[in-house]
Amino acid sequence: MKRRSPMSLFLIVASILSAPAVLQAQSEQEGPEALTVATWGGSYERSQRRAYFDPYTEATGIPIETVHYDGGIEVLREHLASGEVEWDIVDMIQSDASAACEAGLLAPIDANILEPAPDGTPPEEDFMDGAIHRCFVTQIVFSTVIAFDDRAFPGVKPDSVEDFFDLETFPGKRALRKSPVGLLEWALLSLSVPREQLYDLLSTRRGLELAARRLDEIRDSIIWWTRGQEPVDLLTSGQATMATGYNGRFFHARAMENAPISVIWDGQLIGFNSWTIVRETHQAEQAADFIAFATRAENMAAQASLISYGPARKSAQKRVGLHTDAGVPMRPYMPTAPSHMDNAVIRDHHWVFPDRGSPGGVVSGVAGGIVVSVASRYRCFYNPGAVRCLIAVWRSEQLQ
Amino acid sequence: MDSKGVAQIFYQISTVTLVAIVVGGAASLAAIGFVDAVHYLNERLLISPYARVLAEDRPTLVAAATLLVPAAGGLVVGLLVHFLVREKRGLAPPDAILAAQTSGAAPGFRSGLVSTLAALVSLGSGASVGQYGPLVYLGAMFGNLAGQLRLNLRHQRSIAIACGVAAAISTAFNAPIAGLVFAHEVILRHYSLRAFAPVTVAAATGYVVANVIFDRPALFLVNFDRVEHSYEFVFFALEGVFCAGLAWVFMRLLRASASISRHYIGVPWARPAVAGLLLGMVALWIPEVLGIGQETLRFATIEGAFGIGELGLIIMAKLVVTALCIGFGFIGGVFSPALLIGILFGAFYGLALPYLVPVPHSGLVVYAICGMMALASSVIGAPLTTILIVFELTRSYDLTIAAMVSVVFANLISYRVIGRSLFDLQLRARGFDLSLGRDKAILQTHRIRDYLSSEYTTALDQNTVGEVCQRLVREGRAEAMVVDGQGRLLGVIRLQGVVNSAAKTPATEAMIRSFTRFDEETSVWKSMELLRGFLGEAVPLVSRKGELLGVVPEEAVIRAYLEIVHDLREEENEAA
Repeated sequence: MKRRSPMSLFLIVASILSAPAVLQAQSEQEGPEALTVATWGGSYERSQRRAYFDPYTEATGIPIETVHYDGGIEVLREHLASGEVEWDIVDMIQSDASAACEAGLLAPIDANILEPAPDGTPPEEDFMDGAIHRCFVTQIVFSTVIAFDDRAFPGVKPDSVEDFFDLETFPGKRALRKSPVGLLEWALLSLSVPREQLYDLLSTRRGLELAARRLDEIRDSIIWWTRGQEPVDLLTSGQATMATGYNGRFFHARAMENAPISVIWDGQLIGFNSWTIVRETHQAEQAADFIAFATRAENMAAQASLISYGPARKSAQKRVGLHTDAGVPMRPYMPTAPSHMDNAVIRDHHWVFPDRGSPGGVVSGVAGGIVVSVASRYRCFYNPGAVRCLIAVWRSEQLQ
Repeated sequence: MDSKGVAQIFYQISTVTLVAIVVGGAASLAAIGFVDAVHYLNERLLISPYARVLAEDRPTLVAAATLLVPAAGGLVVGLLVHFLVREKRGLAPPDAILAAQTSGAAPGFRSGLVSTLAALVSLGSGASVGQYGPLVYLGAMFGNLAGQLRLNLRHQRSIAIACGVAAAISTAFNAPIAGLVFAHEVILRHYSLRAFAPVTVAAATGYVVANVIFDRPALFLVNFDRVEHSYEFVFFALEGVFCAGLAWVFMRLLRASASISRHYIGVPWARPAVAGLLLGMVALWIPEVLGIGQETLRFATIEGAFGIGELGLIIMAKLVVTALCIGFGFIGGVFSPALLIGILFGAFYGLALPYLVPVPHSGLVVYAICGMMALASSVIGAPLTTILIVFELTRSYDLTIAAMVSVVFANLISYRVIGRSLFDLQLRARGFDLSLGRDKAILQTHRIRDYLSSEYTTALDQNTVGEVCQRLVREGRAEAMVVDGQGRLLGVIRLQGVVNSAAKTPATEAMIRSFTRFDEETSVWKSMELLRGFLGEAVPLVSRKGELLGVVPEEAVIRAYLEIVHDLREEENEAA
């Protein structure tokens, strides 16, 4: 035991005055240091808390704190540059993760930490292709889908991207995100462009024009949305008959709130989220331990039983059953359900949002950059005449 | 079977398989490297639509590249071919056919490499030529190398060449069955198990390399359900007929362009540069004519991507520009342009059809694919291969059957009007005529001088008939060759012709002056034809200067024919 000094006596007195703060400080000093995870908030983070963070704390005694993160690599770069690195783990979109990896912002992850599936299948066979990377482990699959108001179409229901553009058979307003993401993809998909060639063809003038012309056909019926909840509200309120949005939101509205919304899985745009470890963290080992824990099949299945994002490993997909609270079967709502994957498009994130910092993104990113820069230069996408504006730009350039 | 026989069979099978895998793997890797290099150059030189869309904000740069890159590429190609290729032309599938069919010396490895490089520059700088011709020759080149190894295998060279070609096609199209059939249909021209087995192995190797190891994307993909109406098969057949007509136009343009280039441009190495400049000028207006046009090909199956007038324009421009590029000496094939023109024509036909015959039809895709395959098969003379390419690329039974109908009708017509293929036409121009099958062509490549005999009786011009008769009786022959002091053949004396002549008659008077003779170049086929109506014992063979080199007995001509045909039949019926 240490001898008590006058200084420590002072501390005791002080602690009485500020009990809660000091108690926490003490627990930080005495208990293990917390891990800090940068993640996305909302119901998504709540599902992570229940499936990963709390069980991990229970198992190891290490608390997990979260900070809000909205994607991108610039914010990570700035955080690292600030000198006081607090983040240990970031839940990143896969393309961001690989860009961050190229930019040297992430610590390598030893693939050997991953646990095999319960039946002994090694992780590299159990995870999806490309999920295990030098710098990240992909954990969930999310999707941007087209949904429709069931009440609006009492007879034949729409079931394809083509139907989204068919105002004659399926009349009504179309809610689209006020961002180039997905717009051009769906426009070309609706013309039965094979999904494997989608981005190749979209990277040509003819492809861009074709997509823009297609969007122009429904221009007068478009309602633009910005926040994730909006498409759900637009559909339930009857303002729009069809809308694009995140599959988790639509699921929540349908399963938990009984909204009359059906999802069209044709042409769903798939994206991935991945666990990464920040390069300068001094808790890299602990972070890796958490990732190993969070990517166990049963834990991934637990999250998928709370929110309809598909686990990135087969053994976890097989364990997804009923929603933990609502009791509805989750599998039909998963983007990764085999029947949904037939016509899924793996989103080429770089195509739309070029990362200047990443060598991997430059080549595939610049065409997207053209779209975005042309669009923003002429304020095309963010006004009601977006598509016509875009065409006008192209036409005028063609005439020169 | 004794153990020696078993060991021999084991040796044969394992060596042949090994050759097939090595040649197939090498050809496949080279094909991938070639295609990637072309893509790389196209990106860098602002040829690909992708690169052009990236540079959209610098229109002057794009225009300059469009004009100058093909011209500069043409200059490089012209210089490469003129100064470094011994044959002074690009090596192509006809050379592969010739090397596989005959035992003569094939073009050297250096010529092959330079020709491939010239093809790379041509394609990379946006010339409107095809990539499969150079790939086929690349495969054949590796096969030819393996054919020179001393492995003691029968027909080693032709089989190894077929292996290389099969692997190249299998890789380039992601279509191993088509590769296998192409090697037989176009290169080998027969189907023996001995060749079939290794070629299959090579095609599979190419497929594994392309698909399993490198995961190459497909050439094109289409969404197609089925042919909706049975009457559409009539439209497919009709489309085939139109495509045969288009193939005829294409071939005429090719020939015209080649003769124009020879006529107007005296400096051979400058020709491709001129073509490049003209190409660039057209491309300023219609950029689709540049390069292989993979994106244009993919757009052709998409409704709404092209207007009907636009399609017509691109088809005409591409036809003319391709003929220009090939005729003026850019190095490359005709298959890719034929595929592109065909698919655009098919789309055109599909769009025009509702106006001509107002009945419902199954949409654009099937007509586009039919047009593509009908035109391409007429040009390269490989109906089975093209049908299989459709099947392997689309995995659609309905599309394959529709394309089959078009292909067959196109070939029915084009075979009569043009001939089997462009390759056969080119070979015929070089004196290797496959139009009546392999027998005639092969017999034409063998020289009858190989069967020369020195057993004959000579008479000098100053001899008398009596002296000649005595010599003939002594040597037991009925024919004497009369030569002058320099050994030149003057005539032939036949015993039955001089029986009643006075013994003192000079030989030169009694001899027959018009008689059948062979020269050094006379082929076995030609000698058979010359022998028609021949009555003597042996035919004299003379050099170009008229010197008597020897005689070819009638029996030797028949022997030559039998031996060669026997070899061919044996090759065609060999087991593994």
